[in-house]
Amino acid sequence: MIGKTVIPFGPQHAVFPEPFHWRLVMEEERVLDAIPGIGYMHRGIEQLATRMEFAKTLFLAERVCGICSFMHALAYAESLEKLMDVEVPPRAKYLRTIWAELARLQSHLLWIGLAADAFGFESLFMQAWRVREYVMDMVEFTEGGRVMTSSVTIGGVRRDLHEEAIEFLLENLDKLEVGFEEVYQVFTEDPLIKHRTVGVGILSKEDSIRLGAVGPTLRGSGVAQDMRMLGYAAYGELEFQPVVEDSCDSYARMVVRLKECFQSINLIRQAIKKLPDGDVLVKVRGKPEGEVVTRIEQPRGELLYYIKANGTKSLERFRIRTPTLSNLPPLMHMIKGACLADVPVITLSIDTCIACTER
Amino acid sequence: MGCACGDRPTSLDVGGSAVSVTAGFWLMVLGIVVAPLVGGLLTGLERKVIARFQGRQGPPLVQAFYDLIKLWQKQPRAVNRIQVVYAYAHLFFMIVSLLALLLGQDLLMILFIFSFASVALILGGLSVDSPYSRIGSQREIVQLLVYEPILILMVIAFYKVTGSFMARAAWGLGQPLIYQIPLVLVAFLSVFIIKLRKSPFDLATQLHEPHQELVKGIITEYSGPHLALIELASWYEMVFLLGLVALFWSTSWIGALILAAVFFSLLTLIDNVTPRATYAWMVKFVWKVGLGLAVVNVTCLYLG
Amino acid sequence: MSLVALSRKKSPWLLHFETGGCNGCAIEVWACLTPVYDVERFGMVNTGNPKHADVLIVTGCVNARSGRVLRNLYSQMPEPKVVIAVGVCACTGGIFHDSYNLAPGADRAIPVDIYIPNCAARPEAIIDSVLHAVDLLEEKGRSYDARRS
Repeated sequence: MIGKTVIPFGPQHAVFPEPFHWRLVMEEERVLDAIPGIGYMHRGIEQLATRMEFAKTLFLAERVCGICSFMHALAYAESLEKLMDVEVPPRAKYLRTIWAELARLQSHLLWIGLAADAFGFESLFMQAWRVREYVMDMVEFTEGGRVMTSSVTIGGVRRDLHEEAIEFLLENLDKLEVGFEEVYQVFTEDPLIKHRTVGVGILSKEDSIRLGAVGPTLRGSGVAQDMRMLGYAAYGELEFQPVVEDSCDSYARMVVRLKECFQSINLIRQAIKKLPDGDVLVKVRGKPEGEVVTRIEQPRGELLYYIKANGTKSLERFRIRTPTLSNLPPLMHMIKGACLADVPVITLSIDTCIACTER
Repeated sequence: MGCACGDRPTSLDVGGSAVSVTAGFWLMVLGIVVAPLVGGLLTGLERKVIARFQGRQGPPLVQAFYDLIKLWQKQPRAVNRIQVVYAYAHLFFMIVSLLALLLGQDLLMILFIFSFASVALILGGLSVDSPYSRIGSQREIVQLLVYEPILILMVIAFYKVTGSFMARAAWGLGQPLIYQIPLVLVAFLSVFIIKLRKSPFDLATQLHEPHQELVKGIITEYSGPHLALIELASWYEMVFLLGLVALFWSTSWIGALILAAVFFSLLTLIDNVTPRATYAWMVKFVWKVGLGLAVVNVTCLYLG
Repeated sequence: MSLVALSRKKSPWLLHFETGGCNGCAIEVWACLTPVYDVERFGMVNTGNPKHADVLIVTGCVNARSGRVLRNLYSQMPEPKVVIAVGVCACTGGIFHDSYNLAPGADRAIPVDIYIPNCAARPEAIIDSVLHAVDLLEEKGRSYDARRS
């Protein structure tokens, strides 16, 4: 075939569980241009929030994204606590940290599986998801659900961690670490995976800042930016450093996520060790009023919540900027000139979450 | 019946003469009926083994037959009529190449018929407008270009050792071919993986796993009974390729079976431990390593 | 049971389409494929191609844009076929039901045979629904055969 072909990539496609549409203008196997088509997942959450009671909006925020639902609930709760001057008890802060890191772990492991699948490495996909089930077990045991847990609420958390649960957590963390170690080794050492990722989808440090990349995409380009350093929840009292890689390609972004898994395991252990006693929930009274911006680190990067309230029972304006939205311009930049076979790899290297982006 | 030589009737003159007409007839019946049974079982076995590799229970052993019958009973929905013709042609040439191998015919001719089967599939893929199918076909063409030289070199090496292009010449050998052309056999492994569409060379399509960047590649637009035809052809293909492997140890039944089993296990193992390669990498690797090995072996034969 | 009926029951090939919810159910559908739940033991394969599929799994709420895609996918699947709506969004619209651009439930776009509520639907429930779908598939297959002959 001579000339340009247009390949519809999505909206129903085996690589992504989400409807995301690329129209790839191809010349043989090279991508000349990529035109994203979005709008398949728009649910009008921001408008719905202005009609709902602000306490119920928490559940709506949780359902922005099923992969990082905890993070959205956390961001919403933190924002409203700032608006209403609520001091969250320290134990609740630590529990939030533990659950946030569990959410990060499951999201990263999910991504690892999808990435392995994009390489056509089915057995690694299966291994990654098998390891992920340890995390899901922990989530289910401590939060009471696998996906939508509703464990965060304004003023604290809904559930407490019992002795038994802590033991279960520590036990499963050990199993998880052993299983994950194997996956990590295969991912970082397999020559064919290296061949598929090293030097593919270069995003230089300057470009990443200019195009507004966030999260692992930014850290893979050598910029040490991590919203957890702001010290929300209990992060201020735990010891960690942002994971940074300098090689600016898909491999670097992959390694950042892999290393963050170890970091998360470490953070959960630290948090369990320092877990203070006391209440997990304070009573919240009144209605929110004013404006607030909250930034937290989602598995995919910086999540920004803007909330404007006017003292009525529902919010006046509810605005979410999700990491994938910020990472789309860098993705468009990287995908031009790539091979068709690299399109899934590059697209996955920013870990797209269309559900968040379109809300 | 995992190997070609295994079906040789005992009355056969091992000097390399033709098979008698009655024996030939029964051999053909055997080939047409038993080969898909073996191929289907092997496909099921492979899926089971792969599942166990991945820590899963896996489908039942006869899963491939369930799939085939179900597909056969689905609504026939072809994009155009010529697509169906190509599906039948693909199956027909695949059966013919297997039968020719069973009857010990000319290897060069067998390989050309075999390529015909691939070409029929490619034309079927190109006859529809789907970009996935078209790009899958383009990749299949590249694969054809990649493995064809190795197959030709294999035939040349075969001729050098046996002095004949006829496959049945291998049955009269004193020692197995593998002693003299081991490197060709190694090169043949890459052809084996490419033809059976396993990782790392599962570029054009895959029958049982979701294929990523091209959905299902070359077979995207086939459905129902037409897909069943292609699935059936893939069983014949597997038996045919294992038969070619068995040719390398044609002097004993057990040797041939062992060789075929080793190749089958290697295929499953490699499929499991490798990700998909890009096609540029495939061309580079197969020509550098596969073709290189085959050329070295053939050169040694001519010099030594 | 005839061989055809048995084969129809033993080999449901899945097509999963996320019409646009929160991904939670989509991820649970994927989790069904993995070692802990492993649906391949029932012969299920995730095909990703509507022309090869028998069972369409719909997750998430349907809006105007994804509804078009959904109808398209459904019409490309050859008979007999079964549709499963997984998760409360695909059943009724769930928490988003009165949003300005959503159809309350996937059955507004295509005929749905089996509904699984819950947010998010658990993998066990999804596997169970597919096993119900298999019986339905056999039934539909029989009526399809009767129509054809």
